[in-house]
Amino acid sequence: MTTTPVRTDALKPMTPIQAEQTRAFVNGLAESSTPYWDMVEVGDELSRDLHLSPELVIMYADGVEEYNPWYEGWAMNIWHKDGTSPFGGAIVPPMLVSHFVLSVQFDHTKPFAVGSIHTFHDSRIHAPIPVGATVRISAVAIDKYVKRDRRYVRHEVTVTDVENGTTYLTETRDIMSL
Amino acid sequence: MSGATTTRPVHPELGLITVDTPVGHELEGVQKVATIQLMGSRVWGRFNPNHWDPEYAANAGLAAPIQTGEMSSAYLAEMCVNHFGKYFFINSRIACKYISATLAGEVISTHGVITEKTPTERGVRFTVDIWAQNQDGEKKTAGEVEVDVDR
Repeated sequence: MTTTPVRTDALKPMTPIQAEQTRAFVNGLAESSTPYWDMVEVGDELSRDLHLSPELVIMYADGVEEYNPWYEGWAMNIWHKDGTSPFGGAIVPPMLVSHFVLSVQFDHTKPFAVGSIHTFHDSRIHAPIPVGATVRISAVAIDKYVKRDRRYVRHEVTVTDVENGTTYLTETRDIMSL
Repeated sequence: MSGATTTRPVHPELGLITVDTPVGHELEGVQKVATIQLMGSRVWGRFNPNHWDPEYAANAGLAAPIQTGEMSSAYLAEMCVNHFGKYFFINSRIACKYISATLAGEVISTHGVITEKTPTERGVRFTVDIWAQNQDGEKKTAGEVEVDVDR
């Protein structure tokens, strides 16, 4: 039995040049990929600072069709604005920094680990994050384990304000690796 | 139909839950379509073709590109902010386990049921079972939330 190959444009229309650009991008990722399991040792600590600009917050929120005005420090026509929320100015959606932990766990100086899957998080939200803050996301690898023939890497994460030290979020999270 | 004729406040500062809300109360969720263009946007899944490229996903043995789990967490958090308002941003907890992949094109709805109320000095700490499921009722993400609400 033969199976029909899945086309790059199977789920959205593309012209040939768009499909070629897509394949080139994907092939470029594959060429520099390493299994995550092999990249991480228990005790590894990675940390990076992230500026939570109004535009970044909007891009995150638009991706999940989240239109709560509390998160708007940027609006079309007005551009930058203070925004309003129960805490004064615009704040960051509660799970935004958790999403960006991924960018810290995958050391950006090493080959990217395509094929890893985020499987679990247990997050404590300590305080609202104002839009415009710069946060330090620190992740420590605390365990590597195998469960039902699958390999997992566990991290503990802390997100703090770079200027005033406020702890915004702490989290335990697992990545399943090929 | 959405039935969006209600006069209740949208995005209320204190949410919709009060200290008197009983155990067993069901949270009204949100619904989203796992849209391929959003799944592959730069701040979401662009870094991993499994999240947006049908050809790559098929070669990986997937029936279709899969959403990043964090998109489900964001949907669930949206529901929690609707119900707990500002309280969700202070001393709360949200745990999510991604138990099944969300495939491109699926319609995802979020759900929550209050399972426990614990008295605190200022009010009540609620425990809520939360989950996200597709249009066939298949659970994709399951977890728990804890939030303090003042009296």
